[in-house]
Amino acid sequence: MKRHAKIDGPQTDRRLDGMAQGVLGQPLDRPDGPLKVTGRATYAAEVRLDRMVHGVLVRAPRVGTLNGFDTERVRGMAGVLAVLTEGLPRNSAQGAIAKSPPGNEGKAQYVGQPVALVVAETLEQATHAAWTLEVGIMPSIPVINPHAAPTEFPEKKQRDLGDLEAAMAEAAATLDETYHTPTLSSAPMEPHASIAEWDGERLTLHGAYQMLKFNRKQLAEALGIDPSAVRVLAPYVGGGFGSKLGISAEAVGAALAARMLGRPVSVVMHRRQVFEMTTRRSQTQQRIRLAADVDGHLLGIGHDALVSNLPGETFSEPVQQGTDFNYAAPNRKVVHEVARLNLIACGSVRAPGEAVGVTMFEVAMDEMAHRLNLDPVEFRLRNIPDHDPLDGKPFSSNMLAQALTEGAQRFGWRHQPPRSRREGEWWIGTGMSAAVRVNMLTESEARVTLTPEGRAKVETDMTDIGTGTYAILTQIAAEMLGLPVAQVETVLGDTDLPPASGSGGSFGAASSGSSVYLACLEIRSQIAARLGIAEEDLTLKDGHAIHANRTIPLSQILDAPITTEGHVEPGDSGKIARNATYGAHFAEVAVNDVTGETRVRRMLGTYACGRVLNVKTATSQCHGGLIWGIGMALTEELIHDPRDGHAVNRDLAEFHIPVNRDVPDLEVYLLPERDDWANPIQSKGIGELSICGAGASVINAIHAACGVRIRDLPATPDKVLAGLMQIES
Amino acid sequence: MMEIAFLLNGAPLRVQADPTRTLLDWLREERRLTGTKEGCNEGDCGACTVMVTDEDGPKTLNACILLLPQLHGKAVRTVEGIAGPGGELHPVQEAMITHHGSQCGFCTPGFVVSMAVAHKLGRQDFDDQLAGNLCRCTGYAPIIRAAKAAADAPVPEWLDDPLPEVAHLPFRPETADELAEWYLAHPEATLIAGATDVGLWVTKDLRDLAPVAFLNGVRDLRGIEVTENAIRIGACVTISELGRAIGPHYRSFAELIRRYGSVQVRNAATIGGNIANGSPIGDSPPALIALGAVLHLRRGTERRSLPLEEFFLDYRKQDRQPGEFVEAVTIPRQPDRLACYKLSKRFDQDISAVCGCFNVTVADGVVQDARIAFGGMAGIPKRARAAEAALIGQPWSEATVSAAQTALERDFTPLSDMRASAAYRIEAAKGMLMRYFLQPQPVLEVQA
Repeated sequence: MKRHAKIDGPQTDRRLDGMAQGVLGQPLDRPDGPLKVTGRATYAAEVRLDRMVHGVLVRAPRVGTLNGFDTERVRGMAGVLAVLTEGLPRNSAQGAIAKSPPGNEGKAQYVGQPVALVVAETLEQATHAAWTLEVGIMPSIPVINPHAAPTEFPEKKQRDLGDLEAAMAEAAATLDETYHTPTLSSAPMEPHASIAEWDGERLTLHGAYQMLKFNRKQLAEALGIDPSAVRVLAPYVGGGFGSKLGISAEAVGAALAARMLGRPVSVVMHRRQVFEMTTRRSQTQQRIRLAADVDGHLLGIGHDALVSNLPGETFSEPVQQGTDFNYAAPNRKVVHEVARLNLIACGSVRAPGEAVGVTMFEVAMDEMAHRLNLDPVEFRLRNIPDHDPLDGKPFSSNMLAQALTEGAQRFGWRHQPPRSRREGEWWIGTGMSAAVRVNMLTESEARVTLTPEGRAKVETDMTDIGTGTYAILTQIAAEMLGLPVAQVETVLGDTDLPPASGSGGSFGAASSGSSVYLACLEIRSQIAARLGIAEEDLTLKDGHAIHANRTIPLSQILDAPITTEGHVEPGDSGKIARNATYGAHFAEVAVNDVTGETRVRRMLGTYACGRVLNVKTATSQCHGGLIWGIGMALTEELIHDPRDGHAVNRDLAEFHIPVNRDVPDLEVYLLPERDDWANPIQSKGIGELSICGAGASVINAIHAACGVRIRDLPATPDKVLAGLMQIES
Repeated sequence: MMEIAFLLNGAPLRVQADPTRTLLDWLREERRLTGTKEGCNEGDCGACTVMVTDEDGPKTLNACILLLPQLHGKAVRTVEGIAGPGGELHPVQEAMITHHGSQCGFCTPGFVVSMAVAHKLGRQDFDDQLAGNLCRCTGYAPIIRAAKAAADAPVPEWLDDPLPEVAHLPFRPETADELAEWYLAHPEATLIAGATDVGLWVTKDLRDLAPVAFLNGVRDLRGIEVTENAIRIGACVTISELGRAIGPHYRSFAELIRRYGSVQVRNAATIGGNIANGSPIGDSPPALIALGAVLHLRRGTERRSLPLEEFFLDYRKQDRQPGEFVEAVTIPRQPDRLACYKLSKRFDQDISAVCGCFNVTVADGVVQDARIAFGGMAGIPKRARAAEAALIGQPWSEATVSAAQTALERDFTPLSDMRASAAYRIEAAKGMLMRYFLQPQPVLEVQA
């Protein structure tokens, strides 16, 4: 039996609150923990198949028209089995798209583009041959500078409400500043890897991917076969952050080569290829305009963004996604411009849009608060809209005020003018920012089986990319079916199982969780029917049904396992009400007057994400986001050579993700909430909210500490010191 | 090919190996031990951390840039060997689960090994012990909490590895005399000590290094000798050993070393390698130059000594003859006036944008001697001779220091690169000099 729900409005019954097991929300250890700490969790690159051979991708060394490869020489090298120069995608597929990624049309459109795959008996032979292969290219002049590039203005991303120019001309206080963020990279710890194996016309791909039902379709189309002939397996994924949303060249290459050779083929990217051949977060230029009256009420908001991507890519970093609804103002203008560049493809990186858009907007808000001589917390509180400022829709919930107030109180927030605190060489200051992130529900399916012995199994092709899916789906099923968590097994990462939302856009937990909830609800209904009672009157706890003071073991109710499926789909709910999550960040930093170094001394985040499914995994997600915020503010930047655009620092030595010592004590507080509009489990996404604006709290704290306003990220010591010298001269 | 003998997770092994085969590739490709992960293949991320025990005890090393012959006579444990033979979890593994120190799990095995080694050594400076492991998901705090939680548990006895008796290997000299003779006959050879740099020639450049010699068995290059007049450091002393030995004499040098690479890198890298490869951004040469260190070179039976700064001629060009190698470096004993300042974007695991080392002697208010050296300011580690001249013989005053700051502009014409701008480097160098003057004691780590 299948239980289906299309979410067209508020889900007010809140059935989960009526359950008795008491495990949902609890800080359950992840069931996959023991495997991971002993090295026994098997990632994509670690599957060993008989007769398996190795493929190594070859990069385009320059931009131009592909003009032949010296394949003959390489084919003659020891161990070499094949040199593939056709059929590889130009770049990774975008997330949640059923289409194959684009082909290269005979061109190398960016330095680092995968243009060939060399396959050999051993990894060493393949690597050696891949390095030897000469790529013939008729060079053309690459377009690297977004200001000198052809640009487009996607119609759906422009906004114009009221008259911003008039508001700017008449307002008591205005701000018109331009900000920049650099190219950023997901840099998951696990490099992308695929192992392909054919059994006749059927392909099995062991891949490091986030959204398997889409990956299967993308791969099938790239290979010209039916999706039903493709099985993708990804039981453990070593981080994704968007870079594993859509299939990349290694998957297509492994599948093509394996089909050609009749042998399993493993293709694992090395770290430099991860930086070049998977998607990046676009660099952005953001012009932000604010107009306010003397009391600090916003009259106008303008947010113009220039982002980039390769020609033909539909994705463009949705910088202003949060600007649509963050603050009230009658006059609003958004200009979204996309430059077509010969640089690594852009795609979704953790919180596409808000990660950089909210961050720079929140820096602008801080600047404006100073111009108005207002406490930045108070300035934000004065401008929280009571409905969607674009179209008047109600909010499904808006917890921004609570997040700001609660966070300020827990942090001990006190507004002080810049340069008021000094400890030796160090200027000390605190900064804050708001967090907003859109919330989505996406279609998801799951199967749940309950046995008479009181064991349950959850099965779905959902992935756990470190986010905690194994834990939370186990908890939802245990809660709904009244079982200890040890009696529930969750099986993930296999497209032979019901298709889930996949991991992305913070929708995974709530979407796949809702499907498990629905499947369990169906089981409960069937048990209730056997007892002749209504489902609402049934209590399940510790493997027993409890009704009217009778406690009956499941084994007396069931004579065979019950298997059900849950299927959730978005309906009108997201169209009727504005669905989003809210939070606030607070940071204290020290800035060195001699060297311009910044050290974050403490950081606090308050977040509202509806029902919390596991306080441990949810808190960890927030820690991760805060740390990404520190990285974005202070260290992370993928640098493009201005001549040919190649990523200069494409390794973990020079692309500086924060190390332990860059991270201070982090405090996270999750506000209690249920959002009925969101889905039947009243839960929203938490994987991205904490990166949306976190960096701004650090940047604003730098200003509060030493008076230097950084508008171009990251705030490296040289930029800060230049600012200090300007102030002091 | 050479036959290498070592213990792997408690079991003795003999392996026929190509001399530049990395332990990581061998583990994953040949032994099918895939718990040890490849995250970067250049010693940045620590996902491949293994425990290696030798006569000095256990230490962490990055398997990705560890060549098999370096393991001869040692005992290796991978994450698979951290749990007990019956599958019993190590206390740090238990703690990682309960403290939620593992999310995506890919960095986890490396962290677990680093934690297990720190645990075995009784180290409680967790921030330093885990500085060589990167994590992109969890946030580091739960991992640190796990390390703390496990600290008091007893060390499992299964981690005690006996060291195997091994035969002498060709290309692995055991004395300096043996090395000198062999290198004179093979001046084109590559000498491999810790392989933290040479390893990358293999993994990133796919360079063919043959012939090679492995120096980690050369016993008489591994000593640190402290006499009344000097501290003599053998070329094969690791940076970790140097850090421990130098702390009582030059505290700021030890603090600088704490931020040098990572624990895994410092456990492998040697002082001789750090000097001999002539990197303009190596962190030990500026400190050694500021201390007036003397370099001892040997070619066959010929020996010569020269002030360390004279060894560095030009970018990646050193005063070293074919067949000549670094035997030792000596630091003259002196009162500890040294202050070292490392500037980088990231606190740990980062190459210095500027590394400034200051050693000024003042008597009766007048500067008697000044030795100032920088890394990251030129193509070589370099003394600031104009600034020194502006100080010597002058009163130790703000005016003098100010004049010396200006002189730094004559000493250096640094580059702008992705680590810092030229203007920043000059300003930071000047600021460091004034900081040195203003601090009543040699400045140790400047922490917020």
